[in-house]
Amino acid sequence: MADAEVSLSPALLHLSPAPSAISPAPRPKLQPPPPPHSEQPSSPSASPRSSSPSGSIGSTGSIGSSSESSRGQTPPLDIISEDHMEMDLRADQVIDPEVALKACQEVLLQVKLQNREVCEQQHWVISPDTSSIKEEDEEEVEEGSSVKDESKLFDVSMAISYLYKSKEPGVQAYIGNRLFSFTDSEVDFYLPQLLNMYVHMDTEVGDAISPYLVSKLKITVSISPYLITVSISPFLITVSISPYLITVSISPYLITVSISPYLVSPETTFFGQTRDDVPLRWILGIVLAFVLDEVLFTWWAFPLAEEVPVVLDEVLFTWWAFPLAEEVPVVLDEVLVGLKGIHRCRGGITFSLLTAWLLGAYSSDMHISTQRHSRGNKLRKLILSDELKPSNPPADPHRGGSVSGSPSPSHRRCHRRHNSNNNVDSASPFPPQRVPFWGRARRTGSNPRVEAVPEELERLRPQRELVKSLLGIGRRLATLPTKEQKTQRLITELSLLNHKLPARVWMPTAENQHHVVRIPNTQAVVLNSKDKAPYLIYVEVLECQSYETSPVPTRIPETRIRSARSAESLDCGVSAANANANLSTMTSEHRAGSFSTVPNYDNDDEAWATDDIGQLQVEVEAQTSSSDNISQFSVDSITSLESREPVFIAAGDIRRRLSENLAQTPTSFRRDPEDPSAVALKEPWEEKVSRIREGSPYGHLLNWRLLSVIVKCGDDLRQELLAYQVLRQLQSIWQQERVPLWIKPYKIMVMSSDSGMIEPVLNAVSLHQVRKQSQLSLMDYFLQEHGSFTTEEFLSAQRNFVQSVAGYSLICYLLQVKDRHNGNILLDSEGHIIHIDFGFILSSSPRNLGFETSAFKLTSEFVDVMGGLDGDMFIYYKMLMLQGLIAARKHMEKVLQIVEIMQQGSHLACFHGSSTIRGLKERFHMSLTEEQLQVLVEQLVDGSMRSITTKLYDSFQYVTNGIM
Amino acid sequence: MSQVEKKAGLLRRTSSSKKPLKEKVVLMYDEIFAKEDPAKNNPRFWDELFLMKVNLEYLETKLETVDGEEVQKIQDNINSLFHHCVQALGEEHQIKVVNALQTLCALFRGVHQKNKSASGFDIINMLMGFDKAEQRMKDLMERLDGLLCGEGSESLKSLCLKLLLCLVTDNISQNTILEYVMINSIFEAILQILSDVSSRGQHGYDAVVLLALLVNYRKYESVNPYIVKLSIVDDEPTLDGMGMVVHHALTEYNRQYKDKEEENQGGFFSTLTSMVGSMFIADADEKLSVQTNEAILLALYEAVHLNRNFITVLAQSHPEMDIPTTPTTPTPTTPTTPLGTTPPSLDMMNNPELPLDPNLQTSNLLITFLKYASIVMQDTKDEHRLNSARLCLIILTCIAEDQYADAFLHDDNMNFRVNLHRMPMRHRKKAVDKNIPSRPLVCAVLDLMVEFIVTHMMKDFPMDLYLRCVQIIHKLLCYQKKCRIRLHYTWRELWSALINLLKFLLSNETTLLAKHNIFHLALLVVNLFNMFITYGDTFLPTSNSYDELYYEIVRMHQVFDNLYCMVLRVSTNTGQWKEPASKVTHALVNVRAIVNHFNPKIESYASVNHISQLSEEQVLEVVRSNYDTLTLKLQDGLDQFERYSEQPKEAAFFKELVRSISLNVRKNVSLNTLSQDVLLKEFSTIS
Repeated sequence: MADAEVSLSPALLHLSPAPSAISPAPRPKLQPPPPPHSEQPSSPSASPRSSSPSGSIGSTGSIGSSSESSRGQTPPLDIISEDHMEMDLRADQVIDPEVALKACQEVLLQVKLQNREVCEQQHWVISPDTSSIKEEDEEEVEEGSSVKDESKLFDVSMAISYLYKSKEPGVQAYIGNRLFSFTDSEVDFYLPQLLNMYVHMDTEVGDAISPYLVSKLKITVSISPYLITVSISPFLITVSISPYLITVSISPYLITVSISPYLVSPETTFFGQTRDDVPLRWILGIVLAFVLDEVLFTWWAFPLAEEVPVVLDEVLFTWWAFPLAEEVPVVLDEVLVGLKGIHRCRGGITFSLLTAWLLGAYSSDMHISTQRHSRGNKLRKLILSDELKPSNPPADPHRGGSVSGSPSPSHRRCHRRHNSNNNVDSASPFPPQRVPFWGRARRTGSNPRVEAVPEELERLRPQRELVKSLLGIGRRLATLPTKEQKTQRLITELSLLNHKLPARVWMPTAENQHHVVRIPNTQAVVLNSKDKAPYLIYVEVLECQSYETSPVPTRIPETRIRSARSAESLDCGVSAANANANLSTMTSEHRAGSFSTVPNYDNDDEAWATDDIGQLQVEVEAQTSSSDNISQFSVDSITSLESREPVFIAAGDIRRRLSENLAQTPTSFRRDPEDPSAVALKEPWEEKVSRIREGSPYGHLLNWRLLSVIVKCGDDLRQELLAYQVLRQLQSIWQQERVPLWIKPYKIMVMSSDSGMIEPVLNAVSLHQVRKQSQLSLMDYFLQEHGSFTTEEFLSAQRNFVQSVAGYSLICYLLQVKDRHNGNILLDSEGHIIHIDFGFILSSSPRNLGFETSAFKLTSEFVDVMGGLDGDMFIYYKMLMLQGLIAARKHMEKVLQIVEIMQQGSHLACFHGSSTIRGLKERFHMSLTEEQLQVLVEQLVDGSMRSITTKLYDSFQYVTNGIM
Repeated sequence: MSQVEKKAGLLRRTSSSKKPLKEKVVLMYDEIFAKEDPAKNNPRFWDELFLMKVNLEYLETKLETVDGEEVQKIQDNINSLFHHCVQALGEEHQIKVVNALQTLCALFRGVHQKNKSASGFDIINMLMGFDKAEQRMKDLMERLDGLLCGEGSESLKSLCLKLLLCLVTDNISQNTILEYVMINSIFEAILQILSDVSSRGQHGYDAVVLLALLVNYRKYESVNPYIVKLSIVDDEPTLDGMGMVVHHALTEYNRQYKDKEEENQGGFFSTLTSMVGSMFIADADEKLSVQTNEAILLALYEAVHLNRNFITVLAQSHPEMDIPTTPTTPTPTTPTTPLGTTPPSLDMMNNPELPLDPNLQTSNLLITFLKYASIVMQDTKDEHRLNSARLCLIILTCIAEDQYADAFLHDDNMNFRVNLHRMPMRHRKKAVDKNIPSRPLVCAVLDLMVEFIVTHMMKDFPMDLYLRCVQIIHKLLCYQKKCRIRLHYTWRELWSALINLLKFLLSNETTLLAKHNIFHLALLVVNLFNMFITYGDTFLPTSNSYDELYYEIVRMHQVFDNLYCMVLRVSTNTGQWKEPASKVTHALVNVRAIVNHFNPKIESYASVNHISQLSEEQVLEVVRSNYDTLTLKLQDGLDQFERYSEQPKEAAFFKELVRSISLNVRKNVSLNTLSQDVLLKEFSTIS
């Protein structure tokens, strides 16, 4: 099957190159299909020795060398196939390449054929009996099928569906290969499905998926800003480093080093020197250092300017000194291993970790000691690599020894070094970060037996440590009895964590590449939860080109904040902001309107350079010029110093100003020790960002950003992830169909079966908090927040509300989302509602109470905001639901498939019973006409509104959990 | 080496059994104190000397007994001894280093004891000789620096610090030898000790005390390099380390105090702890009155005062007993003798602390300090405590002036429960601790100030402390006004405390005036009210609180009336108080306006409605409805204050304080250096 991949490769050749690649390595020619690999170990324990060279070779198309082949003839093997075989421990399940090839070509043909048929069907289905594929493209009716490109038609969703449904190994293998032709982000969306299939389904499916996964986990990429691409054939090593293009090729009896004229891009510098200052020889030396470092020589740490040229000579000299015939293979072996160090995952660390986490989570439902279990877990272990290290060497010592004979001195030396490095690192939870980028990329071990271990370990560790400590905090918090203690404890724990930052860590929920530099610990809050302790933290990050390779920012001590900016202006900024937070000062609109009476501290920051509070006062106040405010008095008081004329003020004015100032701040919440998150969540995000930025020693940096994340411990987020996927899918369907339904899927990171992280919804507070804090009905709250009925602001907020309620009504109906109390529904500052907590969906409902039988939650309060039962907005609401349902129905398969695949092997409560999928399918009502659907929507709305169970459930929640 | 050891051991044993037989080392000392060069007959004399166990007592008394003329004669030998001591510090054998260090201790102390009256130059001459002094001291400091920074034994480092403490506490302001310590700075070595977790645990206390004393060497007369250096340190771990040492010392004090308090109250738990306690702390008498630790307080002061970066350390929160960060080494925070240094063995009690105890409060240095201050301020009768209380208030003054500190004091996201200690008093029950709400830290500071104000109105009036106290409140108010922070604090307590203070001043006018300028204090207090009256709109939390302010003033109008009468009377007389008293009259303008405006209104309201006794709500109603007809006069500079400066105002206090601290430290150092058997044992096994 390995060969099938290679030879079939129209898709493979689409392999997306590394995004930053300036000059991709010359790809070796594809080799003719080799005979099936008969030498694969028959024992289930992977041979570390044979895995080492292959593991070290990243790019899919490049040629690997098995240890055997390096001895004699050179039958190149596709690296991926070998990898996955070794990983899957399959000795006997190799698909006959011929068969696979044929099957795949068939599929391809069918796909093409069917493209030519003009088909009026709205949905594509696969009929399993013939394994023929009928497919349909939704958009191409007018386009005409003849011009259709198959790759355009065949999208990821389809690929996943085929993978899931096809029983034909050849088809599966083909589709596995086709995965390469999609963009990363497309496939990443389906990663949970892929992994779940990988873990729970037949071996064939797993085999089909694993090349993609493995390659993504292992592909060569860059050491930025200098991209090094390496491709290896048994006796040919090509190293290219851009912008200098250096090629090091090694053939059995000859090493040639060629340097091509270098491409200069003006803005980059090399180790702090401009490009032109760096003699080429040094760079060559560095390249060789990369290639050979610590394998044979130990000089990489020399200062560049002087030693490297000398050392370079040495390198060449030593290299030549090997007795040619005997030693080269061994040496080469090591070089291959050495090259591993500069390999980068195409998917990156995030991908690796994500995969590992998901694998862990999805494997958790399985019984121990099943073979499949070991597949998912094995891949996970391989990624995390902690366990691999001790268990592997004894696995097959003979094999390992057979290749290299006896370990060469360099072996031992390097191994030792590597060990000592590890020891040093293990002393601190986050390994030292402030080494030049190439230092970080360095792989230390040269012993082939542990080849994958140190690199992976090193690479993934900081991030894993961060996640571990965050989850650990969550677990510890859960043991504390009161919210207040939890909050204090959280702040303390985070401050300890802060000492270890910045580090090469990032928030997995974020879009952009960045490094975490600081956690403003006093801003963190514990969220409302009865017995768990989920908490929300804010994280300061510095954006960068690539978290893997960009240098980690240096620590700026907390104290430096005072020297970095004018201390006093800063403090005032902070405290003014605090005051804002505290007393719930004005939103920006308010400020614009009414700030004539209050000096705007934010703007006056720069004016304060002096130390004395009194002087500051004078300066600031002198700048404001309104006539009836307090600052006027201060100005007066200064002038009166000179004129000695008494100034009189009315006590009534002072009292009035006081109440006015206080009244100006209607939209904030009061601090409540039992609900610490309310205040934090209510503060507008923009204000929070600028406030925290003011107080941060990193705040002055341009690439400073603030992120937030919710850390959850003790909760299974797999259902949340499933819901997120369905929401995303529906969202894109509605977008595609131009139905203005509004929903907000929030990102979920599953870390294990009982922990994870959630991307918080910004500027949103729960309806419960709204009620408790404002003591107003929802309608009155809308009026308070957005102005009276006729204002533009209110109307748009109302529209937002309707669109979001419609969206979530559908979601709740389709997914049967339960536990809809007001603590689980958020209201954002633009009027949208957002449902959170999808802990009870599909077949599960809370404690199996008979409550909540209505289709979705539609309280009279909601209806009021929508303008009453007869209002236009309410009609609009129902219309939106109908349109949304029709659109969703059209793409039902895409939704179903997500859920269906996840049901595989899952013990999640939402899949309880046998009718989950059927029920979901039925709720799309494929058989109804649009008129009938309209009636259905009416019924649903009616039923939900009249449902007393909603009310009952709310009061039940109030009694049991105090949620209003 | 081992042979010599054995010999020494044998010798010792015999010498202890037969008194008259002199130790060999004593004989050698005698040789030094003879006029001859001891190395003349025995070229290996110095080598051998440092292999012997030092007999500190003998050496010291010997030095003390030599009189002036003899000194001249044996000066060469002593110079030579000093020289060889310094040389021996560089030896490989740690035994020699230990002995040399101890010999040096003895030399410094002996010489000093003898030469109390003599000038420092004589001492230098006697020990080193003028011509070589500079070089010798340079060598000595370098060696010590090397030992402190090196990888060597911890006991050795501790001994080095003791030697330095000996040196520093020696009559600190006139000790010319210290000039050399100034020139050859060991500042970096001290910082290194503080930045490293394990060494901080063992020597942090000594290092911090040493630093505090060095900073205070002739600080008003010359440029002290340690002041300069301390003020620019910005290395986080170091500053944290310093904070941690102070934190531990203060926590330990608080704990001891609490134990003692519980002990007095009896109960099963307290007897248990005291039993356990007495197992560890031998002298229970000492424990009965927990003494203040001024040395550590001085260090805290210098850090807060000199180093702006240290402020952040104050807010660095960690669990109350900071176990997780210093898991390996127990920190010597139990000064058995309060002002002195600590033997590192006493800390076993801290260890069993569980870091995950849910009852464990989160704490930070500032909280600990506030608790400490609340204990110290309770009783200011004895001089040590008075000094400590004064220093506490000075530190708080510095903190209140610092904008960054103010920022986190008022940070609404940093809420803490601070259990301040309150003096049990006749007219109030002991407050139940547990009900204190979690609030921004500034509330605790204000509570502490209020607590002080109400508890110290006594005959022996601590005027100075009151002034500081009121000024701290004023500074905090200025910050709140400037940044428009509306603190949810029960201001009423503060107001009534201040009014009571005025009342006390009035009723004790004659006795107080004999000693103090009470008008200054009265002016400050009245101006606090003026702050509230004229700027209340910028920082009061609710509109009701403004009404309450008026209510409180009107309710207590008698006090203000009396005060006005008194100051008017004094200011119309000629005398030294004329000027300050007239200031108070001017300051009272608004308060009097309020009283005169509202009193008739309230009375008429009462008579109209036929109520003899108005309820609070009724008075507030009257107040609310009559604001508009009241005109106030704006006063100048209410929101301005004089910044704290140590010189010249506080110079005398600090000089005296440093003197007493150094005396105490010295006393305790001497006790410890005498029992170095442990040390010797350690090294005899090493070599």
